Order: sequence, then structure tokens, then C-alpha cells
Amino acid sequence: MSDQSEPREPVVHGTLMAGFAQACVNLNIVAGRRATALLADIDMGRWFPLAKWMEIEQMVGESYANVEPIRLKLGIEMMTLWYHHGPGKALIHRGADFLHFQTGSHGIASVIRGPREVVGSFDLEEFDSARGHAVIRSSTPFDKTIERGVLIGGVMAPGDLYYVDVTNDGDLNRLVVEFH
Amino acid sequence: MTLDEILQGRDPDRLSELSREDLHRLFWMYKGLVKRVERDTAYWQATNDNLRTAYERLDEQERELARAYQTIRQDLEIAQQVQHALLPKDHPEMLARFEFSVYHKQMTEVGGDYYDFYRLRDGSHAIGVFDISGHGVSAALIMAYLKAQLVQTMEQVSRPRDIVEYLNNATVGFLREVRRYATVNFVAFGERTFRYVCGGGYGVLVRGGEVHTFNKGDPFIGLRRRAYSEYELPFETGDVLALYTDGMVEAQDSAGADYSTRRLHELVRANAELPANQILQRCLDDYGQFRRVDADDITLIVLRRRAA
Repeated sequence: MSDQSEPREPVVHGTLMAGFAQACVNLNIVAGRRATALLADIDMGRWFPLAKWMEIEQMVGESYANVEPIRLKLGIEMMTLWYHHGPGKALIHRGADFLHFQTGSHGIASVIRGPREVVGSFDLEEFDSARGHAVIRSSTPFDKTIERGVLIGGVMAPGDLYYVDVTNDGDLNRLVVEFH
Repeated sequence: MTLDEILQGRDPDRLSELSREDLHRLFWMYKGLVKRVERDTAYWQATNDNLRTAYERLDEQERELARAYQTIRQDLEIAQQVQHALLPKDHPEMLARFEFSVYHKQMTEVGGDYYDFYRLRDGSHAIGVFDISGHGVSAALIMAYLKAQLVQTMEQVSRPRDIVEYLNNATVGFLREVRRYATVNFVAFGERTFRYVCGGGYGVLVRGGEVHTFNKGDPFIGLRRRAYSEYELPFETGDVLALYTDGMVEAQDSAGADYSTRRLHELVRANAELPANQILQRCLDDYGQFRRVDADDITLIVLRRRAA
């Protein structure tokens, strides 16, 4: 696959898949042989069809009657792993940095590729450090609760903030971040 | 006094000493903790709900398993009745000529040991003892198949060697396909002798205090197309013949020793003057004391020619 041209089918990078799968295993959403198989299937150097990601999302959805708190926790866990056991610590030093990082070219845009109408965008619309307020406009195909968890986990990970919350009342694609 | 110092102490009254900046920090720390607790509580509640649902599913699956097990048990009981019906029951013609006693025990509800009594086309009586490889339902199905094939074979030929060869040729293709085979011990009785074909089966004749062991070197049924050998031995009034499968002689005691053909043959020899049913009972008593646990289906037939 060329880095210059977008693939015709949407794909997600193995590092993102591996983080998601490992979070599922850490939270015991999958266990035993299914967990081993899930992790074994993922090569962090490869790109995977977006459908594979959606399969895991669907599996999570089917496993719980009340899945929203689980999805939120999954997103937080993914970013905790990324920061403490992945490259995160070298890339960001303050919680607020994560918002710029994730909406920049090395954030979500670097781990999902494909037709624009499918992969969407993830943009920082507002950022006010003094007020501890930011707004992100997301049209990615990822589950919005997991995405909220990713933002909470990523902003909290460096440990310099006391309060972090992300809401999207009324507009699922408008993620309002409050951080102090 | 800083916020951290006050929080490490035990005097809440000192909060009044905090700066405005520290009070802000305290405010957001508190709100942050509350938010985390909210998220964690929701997470654990969802996990707990999921656990309850999982237990409910487990209960339901357990009930389904119990129902399935019950169905299988009922099917096996019926299969056991069918298999028993396939074994010989009344043998007035045989009883008129021979005094005999049979012990037949399957490891499970159904099994792979099969014996039968036959009247051949030339009018002579015969006994067949077969041990089908494997256990349980699959072996029982092969047993029913062999019985059906034998019935057809008997209509074609009557010499033991011809019967076994015909049976082997008719069944080898199917048995190889299903990866099964069977030992065979087929004995046809004449006026003062018997002729036998033995492929992996077991037989012993006690005559005049001497033990004559069957030559069992011919191939099993279902392995390949081969010619079989037929042997003839005298069998007169008072002589005792025992036919059996390997279940008894290969059973082990607690030290791992086999019961052995030698032990069984010696027991038959030592009790050869007793009625057939008592010889068989002596064998079973001795075996029962010896073996730790049954490891295979068991068939033992003890036979003595009656006085003319």
C-alpha cells in the first residue's frame, strides 16, 4: 500500500487495533481462548479493514446489556495503555497537549485511512486553555462513546489535571471537553 | 500551608489557610474524584449486570445440557434394548446338543462385543464371537451391520473359512472407510469335532486335561482382502470349549499386571469337570477378585458337548 494515495477501502492501523484488542482483554471483555485468538490475529505493522474494527466493536456491544459505561472505559483503557506502555509519554507531556496531538496529523488521521466520506475527520474547533474548554468535531466512523473515552483517557494520562470530562449532549459528533 | 500539606494532615480547620488558587485546585480535585467515581460506578454496575446476565445464560445452558443429556440417555437405553435384541436368546437346538453358559457385559450402554449362534446350510451348529474396534454407539452400529452381513453370508456358504472370507470381502470396503475392524472367532461343530477360523479372537479347548489354544494368527475382519485358514479339533463328550474376547484377559490388577490368557486357561482346565455354568462362574469370581476395573467389553462363552 502506498503512503501517498488513499486506499479505496477504509483501513485502520495495527497499532490502533492492537490497543483496542488489548484493552478488551485487560477489561475481561474477552477472555481465555477468544482473547488469545483476538490478539494473535493482529499484526501491529499492518493495516486492517475498518470492518475488522467494527467486528470487535460489535462484539463488545453484543456482550453487554448496558454497554455505554463499558465503551467509555474501553476508550480510557486504550489511551492509558498508549501513554504508559506505548509511545504516548514521549509524545505529550501535559493533558491538554493530547487534544492538539489527537486532532493533528499524528493523531487519529494517522491510524485510519480511506475515502474521506468514510473515514471522516477529527478537528479541534475550539480550545481555551484558561477556561479548560475545548470542542472537537468528529465525523470518524468510530463509536462516539469510545471516542469520548479516548479523549478522557488521553487527557488524563499525563496526570497533571484534576478534572476531565467529555460530553456530546444533543450532537454526537460535537465532543465538548472540560479539563482543569 | 499548602494544599498538599493540609491534605496529608488531619485538621480540616486549616483549610481556611488555603490560598484562592489552592481552593480552586481543591474544587477541581473534588469534582474530578466525583466524576471518576461516577464513571467507575457505572462501569462496575454494567459489569455486574453483565455477570448476572452471564449467570442467567449459564443456568439456561445448564438446563439445555440436562435436557440434551436426558435425550441422549433415553436414546442410549433404546439402543441398548435394540442391541440386546440382536444377541441370541433361546437356543433350544443348541441346548439339546451342548451345555453352555454365556457372560456378556458391555462397558457402556452399548458396545462392540458381539456373539451369535447359527444354524448353517449343511445343518451344523456354529458360534461366532466378534470384538469390534472402539466402544459405544459406533461399535454397536458396526455390530448390527456385521450381523446383517453374516445373515446374508450364511445363505451363500457354510464352511467356516468360506463364511469368514465371504464376510471379510463383503465388509472390508465399508469397514476401512469408517476406520473400524473386528476380531473374529467362528466355530462350526461336527459330530465329534469342530472347525474354527480365528482372526484375533480367543479360544481354548480343554480335552483330557490338556489345553489346546486356538491359532489366532489370521487377519481381523475389515483390514484387507486375505485368505483365511481353517483348523479342526476333536470335540467329544466332556470336552470343554471356551471362547472369549480380550476384555477379560487384558484387564489389569492394581499393580498393572494383565489377567492373562494363561490364568484363564488354567482356571478352565482346573474346573473342566464342573458343569459349564459353574466353570464360567469360577472364571468370573477369579476375575472379579483380580481386576481393579473393567477396561473393555467382555464376552466369555463356556461350552461342553452333551452325551449323545
